[in-house]
Amino acid sequence: MSICQDLGLNFQQRMGANISQLERDIGSEQFPPNEHYFGLVNFGNTCYSNSVLQALYFCRPFREKVLEYKAKNKRTKETLLTCLADLFYSIATQKKKVGSIAPKKFIARLRKEKEEFDNYMQQDAHEFLNFLINHINEIILAERNQSTLKLQKNTSGENVTCNGTVPQSAEPTWVHEIFQGTLTSETRCLNCETVSSKDEHFFDLQVDVGQNTSITHCLKCFSDTETLCNDNKFKCDNCSSYQEAQKRMRVKKLPLILALHLKRFKYMEQYNRHIKVSHRVVFPLELRLFNTSDDAVNPDRLYDLVAVVVHCGSGPNRGHYISIVKSHGFWLLFDDDMVDKIDASAIEDFYGLTSDIQKSSETGYILFYQSRDASC
Amino acid sequence: MGTTMRKKTQVSFVIRDEEERRHKNGVSSLQLDPVQGRLYSAGRDGIIRVWSTGNGVQDRYIQSMEHHTDWVNDIVLCCGGKNLISASSDTTVKVWNAPKGFCMSTLRTHKDYVRTLAYAKDKEQVASAGLDRAIFLWDVNTLTALTASNNTVTTSSLVGNKESIYSLAMNPPGTILVSGSTEKVLRVWDPRNCSRLMKLKGHADNVKALVVSRDGSQCVSGSSDGTIKLWSLSQQRCVSTIRVHSEAVWALLATENFTHIISGGRDRLVIITELRNPDNFVIVCEETAPILKLCFTADQQGVWVSTSESDIRCWKLPPRNSLSSDMYNQNSYNTTNVYQTQPIHHIPGGPAIKHYTVLNDKRHILTKDTANNVALYDVLKACKVEDLGEVDYDEEAKKRFKMVYVPNWFNVDLKTGMLTIHLGQDETDCLSAWVSAKEAGLTTENDQKVNFGALLLQALLEHWNHPSRMNEAGQKVIGNNFFSVPLHTPLIFSEVGGRTLYRLSVGDAGGETEGNLLNETVPSWVVDVAVEMAPPKLNKLPFYLLSHSSCQSKQDRQKKDRLVANDFIQCRKVAEHVVEKIVGGGDVNGASAGSGKGSANEDSGNDAPEERVELLCCDQVLDPNMDLRTVRHFIWKSNVEFTLHYRVLKQ
Repeated sequence: MSICQDLGLNFQQRMGANISQLERDIGSEQFPPNEHYFGLVNFGNTCYSNSVLQALYFCRPFREKVLEYKAKNKRTKETLLTCLADLFYSIATQKKKVGSIAPKKFIARLRKEKEEFDNYMQQDAHEFLNFLINHINEIILAERNQSTLKLQKNTSGENVTCNGTVPQSAEPTWVHEIFQGTLTSETRCLNCETVSSKDEHFFDLQVDVGQNTSITHCLKCFSDTETLCNDNKFKCDNCSSYQEAQKRMRVKKLPLILALHLKRFKYMEQYNRHIKVSHRVVFPLELRLFNTSDDAVNPDRLYDLVAVVVHCGSGPNRGHYISIVKSHGFWLLFDDDMVDKIDASAIEDFYGLTSDIQKSSETGYILFYQSRDASC
Repeated sequence: MGTTMRKKTQVSFVIRDEEERRHKNGVSSLQLDPVQGRLYSAGRDGIIRVWSTGNGVQDRYIQSMEHHTDWVNDIVLCCGGKNLISASSDTTVKVWNAPKGFCMSTLRTHKDYVRTLAYAKDKEQVASAGLDRAIFLWDVNTLTALTASNNTVTTSSLVGNKESIYSLAMNPPGTILVSGSTEKVLRVWDPRNCSRLMKLKGHADNVKALVVSRDGSQCVSGSSDGTIKLWSLSQQRCVSTIRVHSEAVWALLATENFTHIISGGRDRLVIITELRNPDNFVIVCEETAPILKLCFTADQQGVWVSTSESDIRCWKLPPRNSLSSDMYNQNSYNTTNVYQTQPIHHIPGGPAIKHYTVLNDKRHILTKDTANNVALYDVLKACKVEDLGEVDYDEEAKKRFKMVYVPNWFNVDLKTGMLTIHLGQDETDCLSAWVSAKEAGLTTENDQKVNFGALLLQALLEHWNHPSRMNEAGQKVIGNNFFSVPLHTPLIFSEVGGRTLYRLSVGDAGGETEGNLLNETVPSWVVDVAVEMAPPKLNKLPFYLLSHSSCQSKQDRQKKDRLVANDFIQCRKVAEHVVEKIVGGGDVNGASAGSGKGSANEDSGNDAPEERVELLCCDQVLDPNMDLRTVRHFIWKSNVEFTLHYRVLKQ
């Protein structure tokens, strides 16, 4: 019972017959063994979640870690991660190859975990992704701390010196290993010309979009030199004063899965709300990063596009989210409970609009690029 | 929103000696008066100093020219040594009487740091430019004729620069003006009609130094890209690129006939190069810090060098005809091949304060300077307390740790190398720190509370003859009755994070002119506390008071009393409240522990309240002398639901 707008997507309505149609489109010979293509039922504007979950399911390293978690943690108390693991497990173990499934438990848990999602309104898919990744990571860290604490309790009294404090695990989690990259920001004071640099971690990169550009160009702009001047001068330690400075951000450690968020919702003061920027931004199937730092760990990583969360409509709180994913060499479109095979050539329909006239559009919103050296 | 909103005014002062005979920070610019034998140096400590260059002089210091409130970035000496023009990061350009050393007028047309000046000697014209991208042209004779009543100047401006300007040059006849900026290009103007002549591309980074030949046909530029370029302005092209430095070039000085260029910069080397044959160069000397300015001695046989440190040295230059012998230039970066290893003259500078720690009492500051000297300052009395010498700074800070919490009430700034204290009403409210006067060592009386910020503002402005400085009896109310601050203390009124409105010394506030200017400048919130003596608002701290579980019977229904008290109230007062109102059987409802009145009960009980009741926070027994905000900060460690427990010791 989706209350999303009818988006006039040009797909045939094939109620019921849909399932077999997909199998027919792929062909029983070609249908990958052990793979399941299941749509997710919409619980009232939950397409923001459905689209992200499908994209994540088809990020293979992530899916495998979630299923591994499911296998290892049989009787833990319910968390958003256990709900996600159950959902992925249930898709992966379906008897049928295609169909649809209701992520009821996951949505219920999500609404409990975060007030902002506890309603029937359309949400921002990127905010959801951001929340989900961070939240899962926190769950893993908390569980790890719990187990080290238990370990300490069990071994205390023996030769282990226990000072009572729980060691904060610096070890990266599997979420870190999959999504986390490092940015380095270099700031050069224009007075003393001393360069200071600072590293920060990220789970996704958020890039501004320009009309008729490409992701490579957006990433270049992301790393363009910015001058800190006027009221925004840089407090230089060496000069002990505010001075003009040049700052740029470059990628130092490239993640296994690079999530790129296209900042398509711009706040417009004159309208007092966010307006969708439908600019055409080409995203290639293969991507290399050029905005890497000189001391980058793995600057040559080659990425393949594996999933795209697409926003359809005219604003952040209206419209619809779907996702397109790559699986075993062909492309699928997930629109809530519906799944269709599409041509790779159809991807360009989601680049955006070349005209600046305000209208509804179907545009790539979050891109998932997977490193070719990913071990799977 | 935003741009038109009037910025709030803050009050600042500098803690320093009355006479600061040494530069306390880098020296950005130098000018020589060959006739008087005086060297003018522009300090990043905000002070222009004048030195005697005569031989055999022991103490070269003549005087200080003080009026800027931030780095002095450039100076030019004009009118044959009668006047000096200065440019500062306080966004002003100032005109000085050079021999007497006083400021004649202040030009406020720039909107950001003024970085650079250029001087056309034949026309007595000066150009100023900086980070606001604007270039203004000034007629020096008009500037020096300015008076308090006739204070309007017309200026021409050269527009077209797209980015911040870091360098300027004019030729003596004033027919050519060149500017260098982060745009990496040189822009050339004809200052006579303010027309744009050309734009010269070639540098790969900011252009920080420029010189133009007398006839205006040639120009030399020094850039952060490490190169020096010789340009033909008549041909509008780069003639040659000189690569003698390994880092950014920040200072240039051309010989009279434009045959040689002397350069310095980030690599700390002073190098002289023959312009027509750049292979002929000699490393004159190696300085101890990046070089900011070069200036010839009167006989042009030597060069005065200033750096980002406070020392100024004079070095002998090699004879120009000896440059071709490759004695000193075999390897430009081999510093054993420098021409001079000892300067002819040395004007020693002083150390700049580089680090500070505000101690927990929010009154004392521990500092460490570039010479590793550690010192202790008293912000409240605007003075230095003690020089500790070269001791372990972190250790000293640790040693002075006290478990006491006082709200922040001032900001510290080290931009001049001296301590500048800002008092404002923005994120840090300078009236937020109430303390017990006894604790602060100001009085022996009990129960008197004082506000640090109010006391300081009262002391800073005690000489100001404000019209309403009378009490009901018609007597003049002056100062704060506890202490005064040094009369020489520079007092500065400025927009928060922005332009200086007025600077004077504390002792000068009594003058009539100063008084009038203060009437215009001092914000009303300062007048309220410093003149009207209005007590600042007290900080109320809400907390819950419960009996401790150890002395609580099961049936006792715990009533959670929400109380409000002044944040500096000692636990003793809360204990008094417990004895009086709770244990003593009094009614608790609506009670407020010692709220402002110091509701002491000298006549109650024989035992001190702390002997009858003890207070706990997080199961820790509290010292009766500890105040509530300290308990909340160090023990409760949160801003919400601050809860205290009491335990009855004696009924």
